[in-house]
Amino acid sequence: MIKSKLPKAFLLCVFTLSIFIVPSLFAAGTQEDSSGNPYAGKELSILVSAGWMDSRYDETIARFEETYNVSVDLQTVPADQYGDILQTRLLTGECADVFWIQSNPFAIESVIVDYEDFCIDFSGSAWESVVPEARLLSCKVGDSLYGLQLWHNSPEYVMVYNKSMFTEMGLEIPTTYAELKDVSAALYAQGITPWFIPGADGWQHQLAFFQIGGIYEANHPGLYEGLNNNTATFKDNQTMLKVLSQMKELSDLGYLGEDWIGSNSTNMANMFGDRKIAMAMANSSYIQQIKDETGTTDEFGLFLLPLADNSFFPTNPAGPTMFGFKGTENEDLVRLFFDFVCETESLQEILDNSPAYTNIHVNDDAVQQHWLAEEKAFVDSITPDQMVTPVLQTGTKYTNDYWMDFGADMMSYFIGRIDANDVLGRMDANRAKSAKIAQDPAW
Amino acid sequence: MNKRTVYPVWFVILPLVFYVVFFLMPSIMGIFYSFTDWNVRNRGDLSFVGFQNYIDIFTSEENYASGIYNTLKFTIVSNIVKLIPALFLAMLLQRGLRGKNVYRTILYLPAILPFLIIGLIFKSVLNYQDGILNVGLELVHLGFLKQKWLSDPEVVWKTIYMVDAWRGIGYVMTIFLAGLNAIPDSFYEASEIDGANFFHKFIHITLPMLSGTIMINLVFGITYGLKVFDIIYVLTNGGPGRTTEVLTTYVYKLYSSGQYGMAVALNTILFVITMAAGVLIVRGMSRKEVEL
Repeated sequence: MIKSKLPKAFLLCVFTLSIFIVPSLFAAGTQEDSSGNPYAGKELSILVSAGWMDSRYDETIARFEETYNVSVDLQTVPADQYGDILQTRLLTGECADVFWIQSNPFAIESVIVDYEDFCIDFSGSAWESVVPEARLLSCKVGDSLYGLQLWHNSPEYVMVYNKSMFTEMGLEIPTTYAELKDVSAALYAQGITPWFIPGADGWQHQLAFFQIGGIYEANHPGLYEGLNNNTATFKDNQTMLKVLSQMKELSDLGYLGEDWIGSNSTNMANMFGDRKIAMAMANSSYIQQIKDETGTTDEFGLFLLPLADNSFFPTNPAGPTMFGFKGTENEDLVRLFFDFVCETESLQEILDNSPAYTNIHVNDDAVQQHWLAEEKAFVDSITPDQMVTPVLQTGTKYTNDYWMDFGADMMSYFIGRIDANDVLGRMDANRAKSAKIAQDPAW
Repeated sequence: MNKRTVYPVWFVILPLVFYVVFFLMPSIMGIFYSFTDWNVRNRGDLSFVGFQNYIDIFTSEENYASGIYNTLKFTIVSNIVKLIPALFLAMLLQRGLRGKNVYRTILYLPAILPFLIIGLIFKSVLNYQDGILNVGLELVHLGFLKQKWLSDPEVVWKTIYMVDAWRGIGYVMTIFLAGLNAIPDSFYEASEIDGANFFHKFIHITLPMLSGTIMINLVFGITYGLKVFDIIYVLTNGGPGRTTEVLTTYVYKLYSSGQYGMAVALNTILFVITMAAGVLIVRGMSRKEVEL
């Protein structure tokens, strides 16, 4: 009986295999030939931190997939884990075809480090002319082009506030820390969270410290140069200590939210719309996002963060930047993708699908920008002197690399585990480590 | 007469080669690298730095020593909060309780879920503002019990133990059930004739007869506790601040920031602690076996 069944079983196996294998062989052999498309069937993987692409690239990616008959595997990682995962994957040679970093003029050397081993050299690519000169500083090392930075040019992480609520309560825009505290007290008394900081995001609460680099430089002239030459430290810097203590005071008073350390930014726009919060650090274009997402009729405005009585604008020609992984088997596809996203149609799509951004900073006059009246008015009110100093994290070497560590140390300070000067001292120690690894002669 | 099959010694060569190549050699090389300045920049050009990495671990501003303390604390407490309830649940479910198989299944189910999923679910459940737990407490007028489960440094460890126990109790309980089933009923029947109550039976029969099972659970629990990573990484990522950093989260962060020498040194410390714990447990088990 068994013997008689064997040929049938064998035939069944062959038949089944032929169903699956033969067509796939046929397809693989003919897909490329019939269309003449050398990319057909390939997959492009992209590793990115949450918030850097969101859904803004979806339409462009879909068009890219359709145009070249390829698939794109978008690997979005939570922001607080991204740095660790990226480094691990780079070092193990298991990185995605395209990866992102938060770049600045020092970041390629200090974050990617072995950029010649890890990054595709795009020098001579046509898309270089699309990126403004100021942003190319974050994309190049010497004359070699590695990164593509498509970012907006709106005021970044200034104070967004509910103007209608302020007007109704007779509150003025605070220009000093004392005024900020008074305004916060008035709002808090009404059951409103005065200044919401989403601490659980892990990367937002540091902004209040770093975005006001101008006041540190103004109070301690030559500080940036000193930090870059290892002749100055974060530790014992009186203005920095003051900023940390002021933030802690606001936290202890409950002005940052009842559980701001455990809250993330997922619901922030709704909280603005519901009038549960009055102020938050955000991009100017976030105003439009609040209106679009919540349908509120409230008016919103912008002002400079007045910690340590700061009056400086957070100038920051840096941003999330994408790189091609040199170890990829699809370098031609990576190059094609970079060319594709720099086409006018793609740039317009990316901007139009970015509810949080009103413009895209590119050298392409054909792209239609959507500047808000509020942000235009705000930028017009800033004098050139207020814009001269870049933010601390990108104006000084090795600082931005420890953004998350500094954030964790700030939290330790806010919950009373360490002193403010320990937070600053740890930043010095970390920067020294990076400098040593980079064999920086100043250290 | 029993017929014994004797296998040739060369049967062990293949597993031995695997063991040497994939465990022993990497371990020894790791210890070697912990005495170098190996980092992302000098991958091919290492310098011997003696005990500097170990000195840095105990003197650094980063306070890695707190990671060692937290690891040991987690190992001890997490075992206590799992072993004791698991033992009583096993005793309860070993008896003729109605629907006991359903309860056993329900209790064991969390053990098959990946920590990543558990972490993400509990992060949502434990959210202070709109998590199910706090909202539920409000609904039943127990709002005074609301906590900042993952952001209050006084509460966050208790939360981690709670989540860890929720996942692990069923597993520990299953091992206890196997041990309880192996105790002959006649022991209990004889003791009942002698007038023993529940407490007497528990102290003089159940516990001694379960000593091997308890030891197995302890071995699993201690090795798990010393290596804990995923539940903490997903739930708190070491926060708030550095409150819940353990050895493995520090190792991961050091490695991903390119400080391999330091990362390996910290890992070597973990290896030494695990080995010491292993030796103690094995000695304890041997002594117990001799006594029995």
